[in-house]
Amino acid sequence: MAPPGREPSPDLGRFAEPAMLVLVSLSDGPRHGYAIMADVEAFSGLALGPGTLYAVLARLEGAGLVEPLPAEERRRPYRITAAGRAALAAQLSQIEEFLRVGRSRLPRTREGRA
Amino acid sequence: MNGSRRLHRVLLRAYPAGWRRRYGAELLTVLVERRSGWRDLPDLLRGAVDAWLNVRLAQQQPAIPGQLLATVPGPGAAGVALPVSPRTHGIVATAPSPRELSRRAFMRRMLGAGMALLTLEFATGTVNFLWPQIRRGLGAKFRVGTVKDVLAIDASFANGWPFAYNPAHAFLVNVPAAKELAMGHDVSITELAATDLLALWRKCPHLGCLVPAPCESITRYQCRCHRSTYNILGEKMHEGPAERGLDRFAVTIDGTGTIVIDTAQITQGPPNLGPANLSFHDPYAWDATCAEA
Repeated sequence: MAPPGREPSPDLGRFAEPAMLVLVSLSDGPRHGYAIMADVEAFSGLALGPGTLYAVLARLEGAGLVEPLPAEERRRPYRITAAGRAALAAQLSQIEEFLRVGRSRLPRTREGRA
Repeated sequence: MNGSRRLHRVLLRAYPAGWRRRYGAELLTVLVERRSGWRDLPDLLRGAVDAWLNVRLAQQQPAIPGQLLATVPGPGAAGVALPVSPRTHGIVATAPSPRELSRRAFMRRMLGAGMALLTLEFATGTVNFLWPQIRRGLGAKFRVGTVKDVLAIDASFANGWPFAYNPAHAFLVNVPAAKELAMGHDVSITELAATDLLALWRKCPHLGCLVPAPCESITRYQCRCHRSTYNILGEKMHEGPAERGLDRFAVTIDGTGTIVIDTAQITQGPPNLGPANLSFHDPYAWDATCAEA
């Protein structure tokens, strides 16, 4: 279903949204599990449960979008891969497209007129 | 705190083994950092279900750099991954273990378990159906009634006369009163424990005739067929060909005070070894017989 010319993003099913949150969280540097949860909650206000987080991480890792780094003490940081950046960029531009279309079809708001 | 630590470990057991090996330690760390208690329970259970449904996910993960895996480039088997004591650190080994369950194996195992359960149910039902359920005749348990009920039918039971309980073909004997009766005393005993009761099977151990009630003259049972004679407690006396006393059924008194005769539990009558072996001696001669017989 991916538009031509774009990276087909792996089918994550109901984990697509949390996966994007995790990818966004990892795009400015590696983070370990708890840090990802805290960061996601900070920038999006969405609470990511530990079970969901690891279901997502397992999928992202399987798809090669993130990679595990050597553990520091008992925490393991994850790093976004190049493929992960590409997939995130593709998804974000899809959303941009979605935003553009959505905005253009809405009747102009007061802010738009100003 | 300790309790939630234990909860986490138990919860982790819900995940497939391969998944635990790969992610278990770090997930535990996250839970500790999060001070997670029961609130993460639903999410972790959903995660466990997801891990089981996608059990190959954790198996396919590439090896982690610098982790507890030593890759041995052997001559025959190139690049065999050997987990180096993964238990001691509790962290991660990506090598697929032979104990790993694939989705197919999981389904097969569940199918097997279901069929085993069904077979068990069927077998239990069959055995239950075939199990003898004796409600009448020999082998059944008879609820005679309370001592009061018996006395209402036959007041002489209190004086020591055996109560003929016909459904079980038995004489119910009020032992303390029966002894007094045989001694010629007139008593009335109505407070009875199960040990004061004797249920004598009225089938003569000689050839099986129905043993009549004790005769009035010497208070002994005397079989009409071949004159086998028994004292009031069913012990074989001199007269007659029987080689043992009357057989006995087990008697109990249940919580409601009801006397229960279990005709599935039969104790053979005491062997006929002469007067010295009797548990009870009536005042009549060893070879006395009923006058009216």
